[in-house]
Amino acid sequence: MNELVLQHYLAVGGILFVIGLIGFMTRRNLIVMFLCTELMFQGCALNLIAFGAYHGNLGGQVFTIMVLVIAAAEASLALGLVVLLFRHKHTLDANAWRELKG
Amino acid sequence: MPLSDPGFFGGGLLAQAVLHPVLVLVLCIVAGIGTFLLLPSRREPATRKIGGAIALLALLVLGAVLFRWAAGSAASAPDAPKLNPYFWIFAAVTVIGALRVVTHPRPVYSALYFVLTIFSTAGLFVLLAAEFMAAALVLIYAGAILVTYVFVIMLAQQSQNSGDQPLAGLAEYDVVSREPITACAVGFALMGVLLFVIFDRPGGLPPSATGPFDTRALGETLFSRDLLSVEVAGVILTLAMVGAIAIARRRVPVSQADRLRETQPPPQVADNPHTIPIYGTDNPRQKAYPEA
Amino acid sequence: METFLLDWSILIPLLPLVGAIVSGLLMTGQRKPAAHWPIWIGVGYAAVHSLLLLYGMISHASAAHGQAVGFVEPYWTWFAAGDFVIRWGYFFDPLTTVMLCVVCGIGFLITVFAAGYMKGEAGYFRFFAYLGLFIFSMTNLVMGENLIMLYLGWEGVGVCSYLLIGYYYEKPAAREAAKKAFLVNRVGDFGFALGIMLCFLAFGTVSYFGEGVGTGTGLLEIAGGAREGLTPFQITALQWIPFLLMLGAFGKSAQFPLHVWLPDAMEGPTPVSALIHAATMVTAGVYMIARCGTLFVGNEAAMTTVATVGAITALLGATIALRQFDLKKVFAYSTISQLGFMFVAVGVLAPVAGVFHLVTHAFFKALLFLSSGVVMHAMLGHLDMRKMSGLKHVLPKTRWLMLIGCLALAGVPLLSGFFSKDEIVAAAWHRHVALGAVLLFTAFLTAYYTFRLYFRVFEGPQLVPTTPAEDHHAPADDHAHSAHGHGHDDHGHGHDAHHHNHEPAIMIVPLVVLAIGAVLAGYLNFPVHALGHFLDQSPSYQQTEALAHSLYGEPEPTDPAAHYAFMGISAAIAIVGIALAYWLHLKDRRRGEALPQKAAPISRLLEAKYWIDEIYQGYIVEPLRWIGRASFVFDRFVIDGLVWIVGFVPQLGAFVLKYTTQRGYLQGYAVTMLLCIAVILLLIFGLW
Repeated sequence: MNELVLQHYLAVGGILFVIGLIGFMTRRNLIVMFLCTELMFQGCALNLIAFGAYHGNLGGQVFTIMVLVIAAAEASLALGLVVLLFRHKHTLDANAWRELKG
Repeated sequence: MPLSDPGFFGGGLLAQAVLHPVLVLVLCIVAGIGTFLLLPSRREPATRKIGGAIALLALLVLGAVLFRWAAGSAASAPDAPKLNPYFWIFAAVTVIGALRVVTHPRPVYSALYFVLTIFSTAGLFVLLAAEFMAAALVLIYAGAILVTYVFVIMLAQQSQNSGDQPLAGLAEYDVVSREPITACAVGFALMGVLLFVIFDRPGGLPPSATGPFDTRALGETLFSRDLLSVEVAGVILTLAMVGAIAIARRRVPVSQADRLRETQPPPQVADNPHTIPIYGTDNPRQKAYPEA
Repeated sequence: METFLLDWSILIPLLPLVGAIVSGLLMTGQRKPAAHWPIWIGVGYAAVHSLLLLYGMISHASAAHGQAVGFVEPYWTWFAAGDFVIRWGYFFDPLTTVMLCVVCGIGFLITVFAAGYMKGEAGYFRFFAYLGLFIFSMTNLVMGENLIMLYLGWEGVGVCSYLLIGYYYEKPAAREAAKKAFLVNRVGDFGFALGIMLCFLAFGTVSYFGEGVGTGTGLLEIAGGAREGLTPFQITALQWIPFLLMLGAFGKSAQFPLHVWLPDAMEGPTPVSALIHAATMVTAGVYMIARCGTLFVGNEAAMTTVATVGAITALLGATIALRQFDLKKVFAYSTISQLGFMFVAVGVLAPVAGVFHLVTHAFFKALLFLSSGVVMHAMLGHLDMRKMSGLKHVLPKTRWLMLIGCLALAGVPLLSGFFSKDEIVAAAWHRHVALGAVLLFTAFLTAYYTFRLYFRVFEGPQLVPTTPAEDHHAPADDHAHSAHGHGHDDHGHGHDAHHHNHEPAIMIVPLVVLAIGAVLAGYLNFPVHALGHFLDQSPSYQQTEALAHSLYGEPEPTDPAAHYAFMGISAAIAIVGIALAYWLHLKDRRRGEALPQKAAPISRLLEAKYWIDEIYQGYIVEPLRWIGRASFVFDRFVIDGLVWIVGFVPQLGAFVLKYTTQRGYLQGYAVTMLLCIAVILLLIFGLW
């Protein structure tokens, strides 16, 4: 019996997620923004693993595998897109892409 | 429950929570201020250091409270094993690393701090008896994704002349963050809500059962019960690969006009609210009705 | 009866419709001068087919020896909604065939005339397309085997009337007249539609004779059955249906108080006035009441109302016509008056006399209108009888044609109008002396105003207007384009009537045919009641009469001697009227001009047309207009304001959001999303 309970891991995962989110909102570099989404993935993965351990089955880990797959796919596509966007405007500034301005 | 005085915030479940709401609120505000100061900007480097210290302080307080709580519950159970120091170390490294990922102005450093975070998260995974996941995390993230990131950073990052200044050679968009106050306020509000939700009941939630968590069991589950997930994952990865190749192959035609425009300053955007016409129904008094 | 004539009777409306489509859509531009051909072919075929049908019907009827003859010719189910099944089908009996011959025959003559009259008009193809559409609607009206078909034609002719009155749409008066005709007809048609609905509610069908005459499945046979066999609701409905249907008839046939549109309708081209507003469309009300007699006859009050309104209208129209100076206006009021005669006829249970008068009237009134069209054509658009005089040398042929028409209208013996009018007056007198007296007096007035017009325009010293009328439209312009060899300018200066053919054959030949009809149509029913016996074999008539007999008892047989005495009185009255007109308007015109001054109040009353238009204007139109203005203000400031607010609030919101969140920064949207997630989490876990 560990004195560490589910809440500890959940707290770490939540903090990780929120930090990633803050980074996503504040940073203007497209690459860093995607890094921050990866941070959020980490938070989610940690939560899933912790819940899996808490419930005593492997579902959390299987989900985490899916998360990793999605993260890998997202990273490859997103980075390709970043390169493409960079070729268009020669900048990584997210603020340069404001054509959807209402 | 050191700071949760039952008479302080009203009785009931709320006051019984591990982290008193007021404490959560104060911690989030302090951490928010710290993060705000720490985020890249053109402030004095000292200010950013102070911000880092404040954020660290808030993190320490949170850690201390949680540690006391864990120690208290461990003390109440005499046969419990001693406190696991690895969790605290890994947790601290994870959070601090993540904070640096977000706040470091140089993308390469962000990526490296992200590697640090990955490693410590993998440690946390090991603590949760998910050895395979820890290994996979390190392999995939630190090994594969991060390399891609670094490559892209090298491809796209404009390398200017680096000087002695801390922020020299950095692009404007790396140096100045976007609306840090709003983002910090909203983000830490969410964090407060999350922490409050996580700790809103008095007792801990210990793992209920320990199953066979080893890699063999995971493999058996994956290829028996969750075979479809594996297949879907494979399809997704294939699609991502095809998509990435298709995207990367695309040539971006740069017309002469674009080249000219790049050399000239960008045109002024008409975003003055008083000059933009509002379309649609006008004031009815200005409507020209045919008189009867 | 040859069945193929019945089977192919759908061609009667169809060919004019096809002609209308062809000339309306294809006969534009270069082909415009040939635009009358599709209509000629279509309407000509319809006329031939109608005459063949009439011939077949006559032979069939004479073989039936007084029995009712009627054929239902269903084509297909037009639409069905539950029990409400409407067939597209036609019904043929003597009444239908007579009406068809009038509509298609006179229609054809008038289309021939119109080709000459409208020559060179910019809207030549449009005019003929409307005419074809009109014939299509009117034949459907006459031939339809149920009230919905009748209503289709009814509204169709209303639309065509509207379009043709407003043919010169550049002219404000024409536009106003078209609108007025349409709106006044709406009042009547509203009642008519309600009447049809009530018929269906009460009897479950709107088909006249259902599966066939004598099967007892049709509306007329159910309603005409014994009163004991009807439910209380049906009895009550029969009290209301006649009044509702009557309203429609009054509107369409320009009866008091809905007569106001017809005089204004003279803004349309003259052939239209002749065809639609004298010969055919306006008699639709008479046809409808004659057809649905069984619905009317059970309600004595309704019959009395029809007869009374008819008599009032007859007198009203005739008196107003006394003080009109516009040729077409005189004939318009005359038409109103003559329609009143027909209504009296159907109201006093003499529908045969009514339809007889309808036929003769169609001939002589069309003749009169077309003759005045020739006058208008020659007089550069002038129609004011004070500006012209002694035209008998300028328009020698027209003068004789007009004279024949006037004699027929005035009821001079041996011409058609005399016999038909006389029958109505006799029937009315038989019913109630006052009705007969009113009609006799009206007949006197008719003779007077008809010959006032004739003596003023065609007799006396020659006076020809030399400048075109102000609102003068194309009718004279087309001379400039026609092959007569005279430019338009010749009209303006030194107008020489003798060198200019104002009476082209294409216009005179149809008039001659009509004149022959106006002279001879009376002998259809005199001295042998040929038309009467023929029409009596219409199932509608037979059932009406049977029902009337069962309700009111056998009518007293009229004394033939009294009838002949009546003819003598009528003839005398007509002669006296003509003599008065001669004395006042030809012998010494000053007398005729002095008369109105002596009776100034009456003269003013008549010239103002009893102020009926003004009364409508003041007591109906103006209040409605004030309601409209109030609604306008309400709508503009309250409803529009609300709408504006509804539109403004999102605009304001958008304006605010545009400069707070919707700035196009990707991360700004993330912030919003995050905020919402935090709030939702708080709502789910934190506070509840």
